[in-house]
Amino acid sequence: MSVSVSVSVRKERLTGVEKLQGSFETRTHTRTLCRARPLLGTIVEVVVDTESETLGHAAIDRAFETISVIQKRMSFHDPSSAVSRLNREADKHAVSVDDKTFRVLEIAQEFHEASEGVFDITIAPELEEAGFLPGKYALGSGRPAPVWPRRGVRSDVRYQTGAGRTLPVTADIELFPDRFVRFRRPDLRIDLGGIAKGFAVDEAVATLQAFGIESGLINAGGDLQVFGPRQFTVEIRDPSAPGKMVAALPIRNQAISTSAHYFADRISATALTGPFVDPRTRALAAPALSVTVIAPSAVFADALTKVVMINPIGCLPVLQRFVAAALMVDRKGAIFCTPNWHAKVDDAA
Amino acid sequence: MSMNDWIPFITGSVALIGTTVPGVANTYLTIEQAQQSVFPQRTCSPSNVTLTADQQRTIESRSGVRVRSREIKAWKVGGGGWFLVDEVIGKHEYITYAVGLNGDGSVKQIEILDYRETYGYQVRDAAWRQQFAGKTAQAPLKLDQDIRNISGATLSSRHITEGVRRLLATYEVALR
Repeated sequence: MSVSVSVSVRKERLTGVEKLQGSFETRTHTRTLCRARPLLGTIVEVVVDTESETLGHAAIDRAFETISVIQKRMSFHDPSSAVSRLNREADKHAVSVDDKTFRVLEIAQEFHEASEGVFDITIAPELEEAGFLPGKYALGSGRPAPVWPRRGVRSDVRYQTGAGRTLPVTADIELFPDRFVRFRRPDLRIDLGGIAKGFAVDEAVATLQAFGIESGLINAGGDLQVFGPRQFTVEIRDPSAPGKMVAALPIRNQAISTSAHYFADRISATALTGPFVDPRTRALAAPALSVTVIAPSAVFADALTKVVMINPIGCLPVLQRFVAAALMVDRKGAIFCTPNWHAKVDDAA
Repeated sequence: MSMNDWIPFITGSVALIGTTVPGVANTYLTIEQAQQSVFPQRTCSPSNVTLTADQQRTIESRSGVRVRSREIKAWKVGGGGWFLVDEVIGKHEYITYAVGLNGDGSVKQIEILDYRETYGYQVRDAAWRQQFAGKTAQAPLKLDQDIRNISGATLSSRHITEGVRRLLATYEVALR
């Protein structure tokens, strides 16, 4: 039997909402708009509190657009994406990318460094090999599994960012000023799957805020960010017992992200279980069944779930560094949390 | 606070553990609101279509998706285009969604109208998981192509993708 955690949102019933009557607009009353579209391989839900329905819908439209642009640029599958172009050309010459893709690469490097190599966007070949990404080594391709060289965990290569900061980068990816990127290893391929969804949620929240939306929520199938003064209740459920709740978290101004082993029961226990590769050994890792992280931003929460999943013991200082807390369900169904979990959740409320 | 080790999780509100939570139905937009959103300032005139058995077969073979209903809920949009409302099954329940097609038949916008599911992940339901029993790397699922690390693509989103493919074929066969 397996237990994994899923996240659901219980929206508080609206208060003080009145239907528009006659030609008078009830400006003093806040109403809540909820919309959803299929994006990022899931159903993305946007909730906003607004005094103007027109403005609210315009903000939501733009937020969906933001997500759609990020999806297009960072897709591993779309040959016209920035990621695909990097994967084709960046080992031959430096490639200039858009600011958002470059920002994600910067964040990825930061997490790579902070996690001592656990978070790694260059594990695409292993994911492909395991059948989680399309590619020449995808499941059923009939090709033998390739042997990938082990890389150094840390690197002393550094670059100067526009803001004058210096960040370490992996030995394999170089980031240059003016958003140029170069891969130092032929055959290197990146996949931003462990971070792009959280990034898209953060960017979409920023879009809403630019429209003057004060509070709301974006939920991209488990990557969720709540912003503003309103409190939302996020339920963590026990899917092995449908409808049973593990915990209900009152959340305010926080992001929460859950990573689970989607196919834990699909293939035998000795074979792969989920799209988590330990970059240090480049083998599929699966110590925990499900990890939930609460953090100040969705991109942090998204990236940190992978760090916790792969390295549950060593991850604690990393969580602390990013002001995050985690909850983990192990293979036996026991639930554990980091010592700061309750304080963090109380903080969020 | 020291972060030396994991501790057993004890919820603050012990009474909540094991509480049964009813599924929440989310209605995002009414049909009229969705029409407003997809085709602002345009008129949508009801123009439902009943597919013939022949058309049904053609749509199925072109899209690779089963046609469950021959009744197509369609609106003709003033100035060109179509507004279609369709249903697909998510994990357990129907998802109602709308697709706006431009005059040339390309997708303008997709909006979810009604979604009665809890959020979460595919591996929630024992019956659903059962279908994967015995599958190995040598007997891959067609689903593999769609399993994206970027999100752990949900079944719901995959079914919407299939539904849109079916509607695009429907447009070619019956609406164009």
